[in-house]
Amino acid sequence: MEQRLKMKNNSIKLKDISKRSKQLVQLDVKDFPKLPYPYDDWEEPQIKELPEKKRNEFDCSLDGILNPPIPIPETEEEKEKLVAQFISGLQKILSKENNWPFLKPLMLSLDNCVKCNTCSEACPAFQESGCNEIYRPLFRSDIFRRIINKYIKPGGKLTAKFTGADIDLTWETVSRLAQLAYRCTLCRRCAQTCPMGVDNGLISREIRKVFSQEMGISPPELHRDGTIKQLQTGSSTGISPLALLDMLEFMEEDITDRTGINIKIPFDKAGADILLIHNAGEFLSWPENIEAFAILFEIAGVSWTLSSELVGYDSVNYGLFYDDVQLAKVTLKHAECAKKLGVKKVVIGECGHAHKAAMAIGDRVWLAESNIHRESCMATMEDLIINEKVMVDPSRNDFPVTMHDPCNMTRSMGIIEPQRRIIRKICPQFREMTPHGVNNYCCGGGSGFAIMQSHNFPDWRSSLAGRRKFRQVLEAFNKEELDPSVNKYLCAPCSNCKGQIRDMLNYYGAWERCHILYGGLVELIVNCMTDVREGFIEWDDFH
Amino acid sequence: MAIFEWEEVAIEVDEDGFMQEPDEWSERVALALASTEGVEELTDEHWHLVHYLREYYQKFGIAPMIRKLCKESGFPLKKVYELFPSGPAKGACKVAGLAKPTGCV
Repeated sequence: MEQRLKMKNNSIKLKDISKRSKQLVQLDVKDFPKLPYPYDDWEEPQIKELPEKKRNEFDCSLDGILNPPIPIPETEEEKEKLVAQFISGLQKILSKENNWPFLKPLMLSLDNCVKCNTCSEACPAFQESGCNEIYRPLFRSDIFRRIINKYIKPGGKLTAKFTGADIDLTWETVSRLAQLAYRCTLCRRCAQTCPMGVDNGLISREIRKVFSQEMGISPPELHRDGTIKQLQTGSSTGISPLALLDMLEFMEEDITDRTGINIKIPFDKAGADILLIHNAGEFLSWPENIEAFAILFEIAGVSWTLSSELVGYDSVNYGLFYDDVQLAKVTLKHAECAKKLGVKKVVIGECGHAHKAAMAIGDRVWLAESNIHRESCMATMEDLIINEKVMVDPSRNDFPVTMHDPCNMTRSMGIIEPQRRIIRKICPQFREMTPHGVNNYCCGGGSGFAIMQSHNFPDWRSSLAGRRKFRQVLEAFNKEELDPSVNKYLCAPCSNCKGQIRDMLNYYGAWERCHILYGGLVELIVNCMTDVREGFIEWDDFH
Repeated sequence: MAIFEWEEVAIEVDEDGFMQEPDEWSERVALALASTEGVEELTDEHWHLVHYLREYYQKFGIAPMIRKLCKESGFPLKKVYELFPSGPAKGACKVAGLAKPTGCV
């Protein structure tokens, strides 16, 4: 049975995407490459099977994983309607009027692939699945490409018959394509390595866009509970300005308890040099990160402020992952908050996708007088540490430290060295992962996967999407260091990555087995600042 | 949306078993939700946490910061996990009738 399944997975053809079968592929963790020490003898659990009831309600006919939730249509008319909507969405993303921001790179990616499969070597999800065909970057992109060639290009249906590019656009194809678009973390490692510059990550993202903008299909975590909630309540976490003030007050007390220092966290201070925007998830789950920024900035004498305006205190912009309209709405709110406070620049806290949304993509909408300078907190912190605006005692950080590179910050934006100059200065036992920088591997939670907590998707992202990262983390330390008697730190300067890493370390029981603590970069800085009492990083409470 | 039934309790829950209408919460509902979390009995310590969460939620419309919850309830995180094995957000908040946490938390 096992052997048969394996053969089946490897012999999947592009055309199978349209098959009326219950499920295209059955995942088996035994197919995934073994993990290194101390997980070489680990009894790996299988990814949870969905209950029958769920399988009857939602389509999970790709790989038995439920995400995004697509209700199974009851009638043939409904199915036809979805296919028609999909075609209409395709026409839109291929027109200049409707897709001016991404049409050019999309067309380059659709037209230039020479099928050399260099991308497959680079893709952690494909490699760590044991090379399951459905996760091959080309599998998804080529189905999409062939659908466009056949159904959108003039005379395509006729040509398709002769060229063999014949994919049937059935309801099954459409639904499975949506599922495929949510099996790619948009890490763009494939784009980095492609000799032709084809961006399979962008293709996944544009597929998601068709589903969201034209068909109203998206993971609720990104849309209903994400951008919609953010624009309504001020934050995707639901933190209202009133709740924010309560949190700031608590954090001031907490800073005093931890460090003995009394700090007033500034907010809505008009005319400050810097508006610092955090990912609001930090307030709820990792307040030590926000506290550490406050301590660092105050001691260094930085003129800064937070905003308590709606959206101004939450840097996230999930639109980046699935929807241009939502992307623009959120980034415009950020620009508005900055303009209102009259700050000289906006500093984006430790959140990778917020960097890309506000600093790179947002550049096309932060226009005229709203075009306020934006800066990565990595650069801001580098200035404070390297130019000795605060004094540090690196011996306080004398434990093994490795660093994860958030894809959006490093590969997409090239911010590589500022964080390294800091960490090399303050962590005597720093060691790099292999590879790192622009060649890093995704944490497995990219493109919002880290916040998708429903059904069996968390199992999938811990055991498969994040597997290469977990492997890299283990390999960054030697056998003696991996012993739980040695405290070690995995620095992940990104909220989304931290969420994924937390879930993954829990999934593998890595705190108990190896004592790997994870956290941001600013916490390491504050932990060794001589103006701050020793022991800012707490080793005894994994969270 | 699914309806979750337990003894005489019938409530609307989302795909992860969180209440859809937090205002309909009662102590009976808490018992019902606890049964889905593998918590057989709600002790004084459980109630202490649950009531703290409810009060905070009613005031601010959101769950408190995990660090604040620990500090103000006097329970270290480990203890919270002992009481509610799925943890503060997925366990304790669910039993207290709060909506599912959202965003990068």
